[in-house]
Amino acid sequence: MNQIEDIQKEFQIDKEKLDYADIKEKYLGKQGLLTIALQEIRNIPDEQRAEYGKKVNDLKNEILETQNVEQQKTYSNKERIDPTAPFDINTKGEKRNRISLISKGAVHPITKEVETLVEIFKGMGFDVLESRQIDDDYHMFESVNFPKGHPARDMYDTFLTEDGYVLPAHTSTMQNRALKLFGPPPIAVVLPGRCFRNEATDAGHEHTFHQIEGVYVDKDISLGNMLATIKTYLEAYLEKELEVKVQPAYFPFTEPDCEFVISCPFCDKAGCKTCGYSGWIEIMGCGMIHPNVLREGGIDPDIYTGFAWGFGVDRLTMIKKGIKDIRHLRDSNLNFLEQF
Amino acid sequence: MKTSINLLKQYGNIDASDEKIIQLVKDHIGEVESTHDIGEEYKNITIAQVVEKEIHPDSEKLGVYKIDIGGDNHIQVVAGDRELPIGAKVAYLAPGATVPSSVNSQEKPFVIKAIKLRGVESHGMLGSARELNIGNDHNRVLILEDDAPVGEPFAEYYDLNDVTLEIENKALTNRGDLFGILGLSRELTAITGNPFTSPTWYNGQNNIEEPNGRTLPIKVINDAEITCPRYCAVVLENVTIKESPVWLKSALIKSGIRPINNMVDITNYISILFGQPLHAFDYDKIINNDEHSNGEAIVNIRMAKNNESMLGLDDKTYTLDDSVMVIADSLHPIAIAGIIGGQNTEVDSNTTRVILEAANFEKTSIRRTSMKLGIFTDAATRFKRALDLNHCMSALSRAIDLGKELTGSSIASRIIDIKQPIPENKNISLDLNRLNTHLGLSLTKDTVKNILTNLEYKIIEESDTSLIVEVPSWRPDVSIREDIHEDIGRVYGFNNIPLVLPEKQIDTKRKNKIFEMKKSIRKILSGTGGYETLNYSFVDSNLLKRCNLSPDSAFKLKNPLSPELSLMRTSLLPSLLLKGQENIQRGFENFILYELNIFHNHSSFDQDNLPEENWYLSAIITERNKTELDGSPYYTAKYYLERLLNAIGRENITYDLVADHLEMELPTEIRNVLPMFDPNTSAIVSFNEVHLGIIGELKEEIKGNFKLPPHSAGWEINITELSNIVEKAKTHKETPIYPFIKEDICFEIDKGVKYSDIETDIKRIVNNSKLMGRVECLDIYSSKELVGKKRITYRIVISHYEKTLAEKDIQIIKKQIEENISEKYNAIII
Repeated sequence: MNQIEDIQKEFQIDKEKLDYADIKEKYLGKQGLLTIALQEIRNIPDEQRAEYGKKVNDLKNEILETQNVEQQKTYSNKERIDPTAPFDINTKGEKRNRISLISKGAVHPITKEVETLVEIFKGMGFDVLESRQIDDDYHMFESVNFPKGHPARDMYDTFLTEDGYVLPAHTSTMQNRALKLFGPPPIAVVLPGRCFRNEATDAGHEHTFHQIEGVYVDKDISLGNMLATIKTYLEAYLEKELEVKVQPAYFPFTEPDCEFVISCPFCDKAGCKTCGYSGWIEIMGCGMIHPNVLREGGIDPDIYTGFAWGFGVDRLTMIKKGIKDIRHLRDSNLNFLEQF
Repeated sequence: MKTSINLLKQYGNIDASDEKIIQLVKDHIGEVESTHDIGEEYKNITIAQVVEKEIHPDSEKLGVYKIDIGGDNHIQVVAGDRELPIGAKVAYLAPGATVPSSVNSQEKPFVIKAIKLRGVESHGMLGSARELNIGNDHNRVLILEDDAPVGEPFAEYYDLNDVTLEIENKALTNRGDLFGILGLSRELTAITGNPFTSPTWYNGQNNIEEPNGRTLPIKVINDAEITCPRYCAVVLENVTIKESPVWLKSALIKSGIRPINNMVDITNYISILFGQPLHAFDYDKIINNDEHSNGEAIVNIRMAKNNESMLGLDDKTYTLDDSVMVIADSLHPIAIAGIIGGQNTEVDSNTTRVILEAANFEKTSIRRTSMKLGIFTDAATRFKRALDLNHCMSALSRAIDLGKELTGSSIASRIIDIKQPIPENKNISLDLNRLNTHLGLSLTKDTVKNILTNLEYKIIEESDTSLIVEVPSWRPDVSIREDIHEDIGRVYGFNNIPLVLPEKQIDTKRKNKIFEMKKSIRKILSGTGGYETLNYSFVDSNLLKRCNLSPDSAFKLKNPLSPELSLMRTSLLPSLLLKGQENIQRGFENFILYELNIFHNHSSFDQDNLPEENWYLSAIITERNKTELDGSPYYTAKYYLERLLNAIGRENITYDLVADHLEMELPTEIRNVLPMFDPNTSAIVSFNEVHLGIIGELKEEIKGNFKLPPHSAGWEINITELSNIVEKAKTHKETPIYPFIKEDICFEIDKGVKYSDIETDIKRIVNNSKLMGRVECLDIYSSKELVGKKRITYRIVISHYEKTLAEKDIQIIKKQIEENISEKYNAIII
């Protein structure tokens, strides 16, 4: 904290005698005093971090304000254009725009599936809240009943930033927020988003993937309600009647917890490559929300019960579109994207 | 964990086929990772007896034997062992048999063929203990007990006609009890609807007779009470180390554990029965290795000292620190607690006295140490789950009994039991209505009671609609009523629950504006030829440098997969540029790549003090065959962005040259990407003073860095901000019934005058209570002669609400426009 005040004092002196370029280098350059101070933020205790960050930013703005317009204009040897015009000087009509004439264009297959699914959920009364991409330990773990040292934390190879933030390894990182934001019950919300796991990439594994979490809380909600809800939207999505079953599983945030299994929609249980000739596909984890999770979200588990699920959109997309290698999905290869 | 179905059946009352049992585990307990038919592995292996013996004429090592397998003819086999006596019982692997040790190893399974070994025919092979997977010895052919029946399948004799299943550990994360045969047997017995009663040696009352007279000196000191809540030990003497009997070896082999000697095998067997690991130390080695022992064995449970080290049973030396719990003599660690034993106190063939340890170690500490040192033994896997504190003593006394039976040992010390108070079994009350509502079932009280008592819950109290039950001590995972609901649902069968949609219809509470807006953007931008991409959130400083961006603004990963994926991106543009370059290399020439996503800047935090997250739409647009004559690429980018913004109803967006902006007045995220855009051919996109983003031509050096053609532009727009702008309300204005008349006007003005200013003024003049008019741009022209000037030709299309516009009316309007504009902008009318 004191360090910032020292820098502040030094700047008050410098701003009278140095010109802007030197000030910028001294304070905001790669080894600048303020740049270093900003990196220090990771050593500041949590409760002071916000205040510290604000002080650094205020000072940064003060330093930037010392420049004047002339110094600010970055050098360019191009002629200034009129950005409000519809086209440039001397541009002939036929030359104006043509990508839209020769290029088909496409929405990414993953987002297309997310949109389709969300549309189905909306029809069933669900709200939509998208997931964060950097979060804290509380939301990713503690609020969903993974206390520190919990062995289930091993199930997730989580990326961390140097300052101790967490890259969500599941969309459950949004559960606590969803309960607080959409509570009191009834609550029905889906939470799509990008997730990360620290695992090596191959044809079947990606460190970056998409999930959709669902949360449903009300009075008298049962496991039977959960099974029916999941079956209903999967049938709407796959446009097919399905046989479903569940297997017991273990997740800290649900009790009971299950793995949801559907009859293979491609072979109707006859056995095919997609289902590994078993006739069944394990499609997602689900369960009744653990009372600790409800309580942490401000909901009384003696009055309300609820269920939650989470599934990967990548795999669903791959199954649906016959994509063999998951790495295609984030390679932005136009040969791939053109096909959708 | 590998579990034998025969062992499960031996301890439980499970009347079902192997296939059925596997299905029951899947449906009621957890995912079965694999199943394994062991009998199949030992197919074509038969018990044989040596009847004739010769020396191999051409080898120092090989013996040639004739063996009897119960048929009429004797079979000739060459073996790498010349010492087999006539009459020895051996395991004969006939041609076609697979060597069991090669089945689950890294190598290719080794299938026996009839071959010549140095000129002598060998019709098969005689197996060593190692090859048969039942012991370590690889130098000698295994000689079986005298009672082995000649001609019988080896698998039969060794009780290996069995199937094992391996349940996914993840599914049992909180179930330490299911890591023991007894626990799994109980569960399966209850699932098949039968009562299960644990044997007394499993759940409790153990009477161990302590020696009366002389005892062997031992002192146990627990300096790690928090992480070692219970430590039981006993010294056994008169131990005769030898091979275990066939039944014990068989049980271990089927559980994936290689038999070593009777004492070690006993500890492993107890471990697979209870799920409670045991360890045996050589008593004399502890004393002899310890300079300070004074003839007394010191066993000290403590945290390791920093840089202390220990040679483990796996031949590896581990360097320890004060987060690692160890068992030590008065000086040195002799085991890493709960994880692995030390080599210098290992039980071997000369051992006669042992210390048996049965302890409870705290799961978090074991988990941390196991991860830190990278040791994943069966013991560590079990101790990572919460175990029954009572099992320390019951497992120890069971081991003492087996020790007496199989090694001839006797107790040589009092039973040491250092413990924290063991918590009472929990009582939990259940409400039948709540239970049924939670699961979606309508179970009767009797059904519920049956399931619970079959699992050995005790019913303490009951009324018509409620029960108070006592949770068995081996179920530390059960702490709330929902845990018991799960047990009941699971045992009854989740798949027997009727599927019923929730009764009440829930309505959505709020529109997710951003989600909807992104959806529209995709539709429009992809509909005009754009390709949506999803790129990694990770970049490296090299990529940022190629974009003139500073790595200092990025969040850094503490544990990146690789250096190329070590920073969180500070803009969506660098990945798009990289992907643009790759696609150009693939032969694509004209394209729009865009992404809708989140990025982070290390100096931007939100009100919750978390990294600020806004949604951005970023795009790069590149066209191969356009030159400077085709105008600045800024206009190509703007064409698409403007179309998009109009289509989603965001009008009155302004575009101001980057060069006219003060860096400091821009938001951090825009300031960050300024060094990528040419200030004279790029604009800040704003709405009512709110800066939404930047659009324009990429700097020449950036184009160069990514090998992009000259006509390359991009944009990055804050969609979260954009979604806050209220969509322009559209109201209808009646259209005049009289014809629309076209009139073109051309102005010569300074290049610095903005096209849109003039357009706005003209529109104002031709739209009032009497007139309705549109304005279009026909041409913008300049040349060398028009120094600093440009000519814009506007086309005006107008109509009057009350009359057909006559030529003179038009001229009046035109005049009004011309005067207005020429005065205001110093324009010349052409």
